[in-house]
Parts: sequence; C-alpha cells; structure tokens
Amino acid sequence: MAEAVDTPTAILANAAAALRENPFDDISYRSLGDAVGVSERTVYRHFPTRSHLLEGVAGWIESTAFPLPPFVTIAQFQEASRARFLAFDASPAFAFVCARAASISPTGDAEPTFFTRALVAMLAANHPSVNERDLRRTAATLRYFASAQFWARMRTGFEMSAPAIADVFDRTVAQALGEVISRTDAEMARVSRRAHG
Amino acid sequence: MTASATSEPAAHAASDVSRTQEAILAAYAELIEELGTDDVPFRLIARRAGVGERTVFRNYATRVELLLATAAWIESRIFSRQDSPSIFDMPLTIRAAMESYDLRPELAHVVAETTMRGISGAAPSPRRAKLEAMIDAEISGVSDVERGAIVAALAHLDSAATWVTFRREFGMSRSDIADAAAWAAEAVLDPIRSRVG
Repeated sequence: MAEAVDTPTAILANAAAALRENPFDDISYRSLGDAVGVSERTVYRHFPTRSHLLEGVAGWIESTAFPLPPFVTIAQFQEASRARFLAFDASPAFAFVCARAASISPTGDAEPTFFTRALVAMLAANHPSVNERDLRRTAATLRYFASAQFWARMRTGFEMSAPAIADVFDRTVAQALGEVISRTDAEMARVSRRAHG
Repeated sequence: MTASATSEPAAHAASDVSRTQEAILAAYAELIEELGTDDVPFRLIARRAGVGERTVFRNYATRVELLLATAAWIESRIFSRQDSPSIFDMPLTIRAAMESYDLRPELAHVVAETTMRGISGAAPSPRRAKLEAMIDAEISGVSDVERGAIVAALAHLDSAATWVTFRREFGMSRSDIADAAAWAAEAVLDPIRSRVG
C-alpha cells in the first residue's frame, strides 16, 4: 500500500483486492496476514470471525467503491439508487459481498446505516403530513428495494442487469409512495373542506 | 391452478434428500441455532446426526456445499409456505413468512445470506415460477414487463432478507415487520387488482 493506513484498514483493502481473484470464502486469514505483513494471529485479533471480516470488507467497499450520492428529493433518491445499481453491475463481486454482509446476523449492535437515516429524513421532510407508521413502512420498502440485496436477487434469480433492475425499483417506489401520498392528499382535502365549509 | 393442485404440498428442492442427509441437515440447522453461528465443526454435526464424520463428507464434500444444502432445507421445511391459489393471497403468505422468520432468527439469517452469493449460492427466488403461474391464471391484459416487475417485487418481499432488513435497519418488532411487508405486497399488487379474469 502506498499510503500509511492502520492495520485493520490495510487488511480490508487487501481482502477487497483479493475478491477480484477469489470468492470471499476462499480468502484465508493467513494470506491476508502475509499481504499486510502481520501474523495470522493479528488478523484474527481484528476480525475474530469470518462474519466480522465480511462486515468489515463490505463497509470498506461501500465507502470506497459505492459511495452514496446525496439526495434530498425522491427523484434524487431514485437517481442515486439507479447509479448504484450500475456501479454494482460494474463490480459484481463487490456488490455480492455487500448483499451478503447486509444479510448476516450482525456481529455487534445492529444500527441503521447512514443510507437508512438519510432516506427516513428525506421522506419526513418531503411528506410532513404522513403519519409515523406509514413513513416507516414506506421508508423500509424503499430502503429494501434500493439495496445490494435487491440487485443480487434480480441479477441471480431474474437474470436482470442494472437498467431493468432500476425499472422494477422505480415502479415499486411509485406504488409504495402512491399508497401513502394519495391517502394523505385525500386527508388534506378533507381537512381543507372542513376548514372552508 | 386447480383445487387439487393446492391441497398437495408443493414438491420442493429439498424433497429428494435421503434419510441420512436429512439427519445431517437437521443436525446442522439445530447446531446453528444453538451456537448462533454457521461455523460448526463437521465432527459436532456428525455426532448430532448420529453418523460418522466420513459420512458427512461423503454427502457434502465441502463446508459451503453443506451450508447451501442446509439453507435450502431450512427454507423449504422450516419456513414452508402455505400453497395459496390466488396472487392476491401473497400479502397474507408474506405476513406469515415474516412471523416464522422472526421465531427462528438464526435460521432466517442463514437463508438470507446464502441467497445473496450469486450463481454459486442458494436459489434467491425459489417461488418465481409459482408466482408467474398465479398471475397468468388470474389476470388478463398484463404486459410482460409489468408481469415481470410484479413477480420480481413479490419474490423480493417474500424472502428472509425482508425480515433481516426491516429488523436491522428499522428495529421493527415481529408484528411491525409482518404488517410492513404485507403492506408493501398490497402496494405492488394494486395496479392489477381491477384486472382479475
């Protein structure tokens, strides 16, 4: 590595590089230690199980290969998601690792990702009159269909590539939002009728 | 789809396992739940299954092979779906599936993760053909694109990864997850509701 980085980051960067040649399950702790110049023991100290390593590598990949473009509107969120699906297509080995890491039993306290928090905030700002319950289930649906897991299922189970995947995503987003927004509009109309009548 | 077809349990991928294999898969699933990890020594699995370690290796040459077979067995045996004749029963089917995942979290994570490994992993959409057949039998005037999108979205929702994501990213309770997933499925089905027959 050209830059001076801490040992765990160097291990993750090397594991990500190894994904170009090998599936994740074939990457050994010993080879990672050799690549970084530390003992196998040191690798274990930083990543006690393969689940820890998987989560670490996925985090490294998310931040370096699949950064999330900022969004403050639904349209920008859809644009950001489409761009990510294209990025997943360009680096499938990376994207599958992210999809796997998002599906395992979490090694620490399960905290919502930045993506989830940004999405909830965006929805709340754009649709202030939507109730908490509808907001949460809409956010959950949108988040789940914008995920690497959705890309992975569509690619393997439905032989789709990014443009087709983004189309199914857009359609589902429109349906889910339609449920809450049309209802909210109807409620708003009732409120304003009451106010004026 | 006829009434007689729905009264029989569906033939599933795991139905062709031998008695010995069944014992091995069930033992491994049990140990995953007890130990909270899929990293279980073959020796322990063999002892629990009441077979020799060599018998395990003869049936499943590698750890990955055993894990994928176990995941398929778990999904079809422990998280089995009630066969329903109508596509509009999918929200109910999904609700029940989410509740059963929530009762067996370790196993749900194993199923979710193994379906995210690409072509070398477990089948990510084992019920795709069934969903297509239900739409074809019930709905007329659906374009191929629309049919494909609805089947893809429902297949994604009817999976362990939904439970994982809603719980992990949104901290939802069992009933919240079931409600939200069923709600999303209703939203996906809305455009074809008026086109029955």
